[in-house]
Amino acid sequence: MSKKVLVVDDDPDVRLFSVTVLEENGYTPLEAEDGESGLKKIKAEKPDLVILDVLMPRQSGVRLYRELKTSKALKDVKIIILSGIAKKTFMRSQKALTEFGGAEIPEPEIYLEKPVEPDELADVIKKVLG
Amino acid sequence: MDKLLLIDDEPDILRVLSMSLKADGYDVVTAANGTEGVAAFEKETPDIVITDIKMPGMDGIEVLKKIKALNADTEVIIITGHGDIENAIEALKHGASDFINKPVRDEALSIALSRAREKFDIRQQLKEYTTDLERKVAEATREVRRRSNFQINLIRSSNDGIVATDRDLKIVIYNPTARQIFGYSPAETINKMKADDLFPGQLVADLQAALNGKNNIKNLAWKEMTIICKDGAQIPVRSSSTILLEGDRPVGTVAFFQDLREIKRLEKELLNSERLAAVGQTVAGLAHGIKNILHGLKGGSYLVDIGIQKDESEKLKKGWDMIKRNIGRTSNLVMDLLSYSKTREPEFEACLPNQIAEDVCTLVADKARENKVKLIRDFDASIGEVLLDPNSVHEILLNLMTNAVDACLFDEDTSKNFQVGLKTGHEKDNVIQFEISDNGLGMDEAVVKKLFTSFFSTKGHRGTGLGLMVTRKLIEEHNGSIDVSSQPGKGTTFSVRIPYNLSNKGN
Repeated sequence: MSKKVLVVDDDPDVRLFSVTVLEENGYTPLEAEDGESGLKKIKAEKPDLVILDVLMPRQSGVRLYRELKTSKALKDVKIIILSGIAKKTFMRSQKALTEFGGAEIPEPEIYLEKPVEPDELADVIKKVLG
Repeated sequence: MDKLLLIDDEPDILRVLSMSLKADGYDVVTAANGTEGVAAFEKETPDIVITDIKMPGMDGIEVLKKIKALNADTEVIIITGHGDIENAIEALKHGASDFINKPVRDEALSIALSRAREKFDIRQQLKEYTTDLERKVAEATREVRRRSNFQINLIRSSNDGIVATDRDLKIVIYNPTARQIFGYSPAETINKMKADDLFPGQLVADLQAALNGKNNIKNLAWKEMTIICKDGAQIPVRSSSTILLEGDRPVGTVAFFQDLREIKRLEKELLNSERLAAVGQTVAGLAHGIKNILHGLKGGSYLVDIGIQKDESEKLKKGWDMIKRNIGRTSNLVMDLLSYSKTREPEFEACLPNQIAEDVCTLVADKARENKVKLIRDFDASIGEVLLDPNSVHEILLNLMTNAVDACLFDEDTSKNFQVGLKTGHEKDNVIQFEISDNGLGMDEAVVKKLFTSFFSTKGHRGTGLGLMVTRKLIEEHNGSIDVSSQPGKGTTFSVRIPYNLSNKGN
């Protein structure tokens, strides 16, 4: 059975792009349009990988990433961040949340900045899922 | 001691009378005929003269006339022959104060003298009073004039425009600064114009109400308003007024005006530089937007590539749509950014505000119909042709109407009967009001606060975050104002007020 990959992004064009890359490479794509419904889908579908955007309405990617990494059940779900925001900015937000009383959380293994080439995305997915 | 001149041609009488008068304590000067008498009068200046009427040469009547001519205050007593009524009347006509008949008795003389003395003293006193009074009046007049000059100078040299009216709001004071602001000359205004001809309607109404003692208001606080000057241009001013009272009775009004043109110009400059700074600061935000668009374009071309390779027309179509969408996003972003960073003076031309509103409704009608949003037009038919910038107003209304339809479109509560309203109205003081309302998803306070700031968008990837900034800038360039009220889940209403000009001069 092919591996399940969840794409969380509010921009339908970005989802369509990622979904097509996944389909072309033999994965089963799932979609969510914000952090809130993303978390629900992760819990319900247990995907092998989540491709996560940062700036989204309702729960942002910053929050969702933090929730996944601090949850016992979900902390091993693999994550690729794909965002227009620089990694520096994303980590600054995480640091601020940590200082605000949150737990220390690891940096994302893979951080891609939009725009990304389809081949690059496919290679990274392949590498993460082994 | 009182000095007294005695004139008689009979030396005996002169001698006897002079002795008797000296004995009574008078300082007596004598003269033996009229000519001598007048000469002695000029030399000695006595207060009282006693003269015989019948004398050779210059007679008593002639002496009387001469002396009265020299000093009208002198008391002249005439000595007449017994029963000489005719001469007595003649003497009276020329201002004699008393008569004594010959032969002269001491008693009669004494009475006549004391009467003459009394009359003389009263007259002197009266004269003193009069002189004193005249002096005091002159002094008071000088003081009043000095004070009034001071006040006139004060009014004339004030940096505030000062316009005072009487009880009927007729203009009575109009200083040079007022002339600079309103443009009319003092000759055109003072006693010619009424407050209605010069002031904004609301100010006139407020002054009238205060004059009528409504709510016991005596002062109107400083307030910004727009006046229309002689050449029809609109001038922003700050104004306050006071009701003038005499006791408790209102007798007039005085209004002060400060010209805000320079301040407004500086504010505009500041706003401009702030706007440029905002654009600069948000280059990062802009870069984010562009990255997303680029990603969309890449994604689109990837789909097109796959579609061509595998000959799948569905992928081809999806990819091509994605490219078109992102081209659209690029164009929106660039257009918004351009119109936001560029300053533009409104170009006033004659147009029909209701027609602009109708055009905008037509433009959004398709989108509204597709999404089951009802459009409600409520145009004030009394609005005729006015001078404003139709392109600005069109863009303002189109932005706000599109937002209103979007607010319904994004609302997840599909049980609602969505509607978007556009209402036009004519306010006093040459202002057209547009009200754009929707019953869509509404906004909470935090969102309303961020509404007009840079790159904030509630529409996620669908908005550039510049629409309302552009809208507000256009309204400000037109000297108008925009207000928003919103309730989450209930909807939003934007009120836009656009002042129009009466002539093409602009401001």
